[in-house]
Amino acid sequence: MSFAIGLIAAVVFTLLAPAMQFIARVQGWSLAPVILLAIAAVVSHLLGVLLGVLTLPQFRYWDAASIFGFGVMGYVFAFGAVYKSVSLDILLGLVDRPGRKAPLSDVVERQVPALFQGRTKILIDGGLVEQVGSRFAATEAGQIMAKRIGRLRHAFGIGDTGLYDFPD
Amino acid sequence: MNFLPGPAQTTAICLSVALPLLLLCYARIAAIGGAGRRFRLGCLSVIALFVITCIAIPGPRNLDDLVSGLFLLATAMMLCYVLFSLLAWGFTLTLLTALVQAGRPLTSEQWAAAYMQGGDLGTFAHNRLKLLIGSGMVTTADDKLAPTARGLAVAHLVKLVRFSTGLG
Repeated sequence: MSFAIGLIAAVVFTLLAPAMQFIARVQGWSLAPVILLAIAAVVSHLLGVLLGVLTLPQFRYWDAASIFGFGVMGYVFAFGAVYKSVSLDILLGLVDRPGRKAPLSDVVERQVPALFQGRTKILIDGGLVEQVGSRFAATEAGQIMAKRIGRLRHAFGIGDTGLYDFPD
Repeated sequence: MNFLPGPAQTTAICLSVALPLLLLCYARIAAIGGAGRRFRLGCLSVIALFVITCIAIPGPRNLDDLVSGLFLLATAMMLCYVLFSLLAWGFTLTLLTALVQAGRPLTSEQWAAAYMQGGDLGTFAHNRLKLLIGSGMVTTADDKLAPTARGLAVAHLVKLVRFSTGLG
């Protein structure tokens, strides 16, 4: 039965998380979507634990937490895969075109630079980059974050190109 | 409430903590090239260790404990993947690190060149397209790109996920 409690909490999360994203968009909240996901996860987890404690005399926390964690991470995984994925944006751009075809040059020269500009705007809005005239520079917060990312990448042996490594 | 994890759950929790440490160790082994390959190897290692430990643990097996342990391990792998992929292939993060590494304010074109380490956005576009083409979601003919049936299905799924997760 503890598994069922975990499942109920995961279902609550899948209802609460999109509702919070929707409300945030309508109300113009400045909270990042990831923060909203974290809040939804904490609230639904606490509700699940409360429900388990109140309804089951032998409530096993880790049984409930395992199915809840799996459900939430499955959701976050799907969310992360579709949220600002460059590859999927290219695919959606193709599908939404009349005739569902596009010249390669158009994707390379128009769509990808547009995605590039969109990401620069995110960095500027997030206070990590500032635009001075026609030039861009990292703010102090941006430099601190970049150094942290660099250290993590170095520790995990990750290069800093951001490109997928295909076996040729 | 029983807060004490079972043997398989304890193993899964320990291996969940060990996974990032294992990835740090694998980063020191030059023979394991590529971030994606290293991550897959890390996941296979913890799954193998989980199976071996579950077989080696003395005493009767509890199915709830085993299933819950698997869910916990899968949750940890998904969480690690979300963070690892952001570090390895995150477009926006790499834009920021490229700007900081340049050490001076850059124009939009210079920033794109710095991001691609001397290349241009075309190289980046071709890298992302290679993923779409390699996974059978997009085809090229006469320098035109078109989604395949699989690509269309994925695009519809992405739209559904974006809508149901509140991303619009």
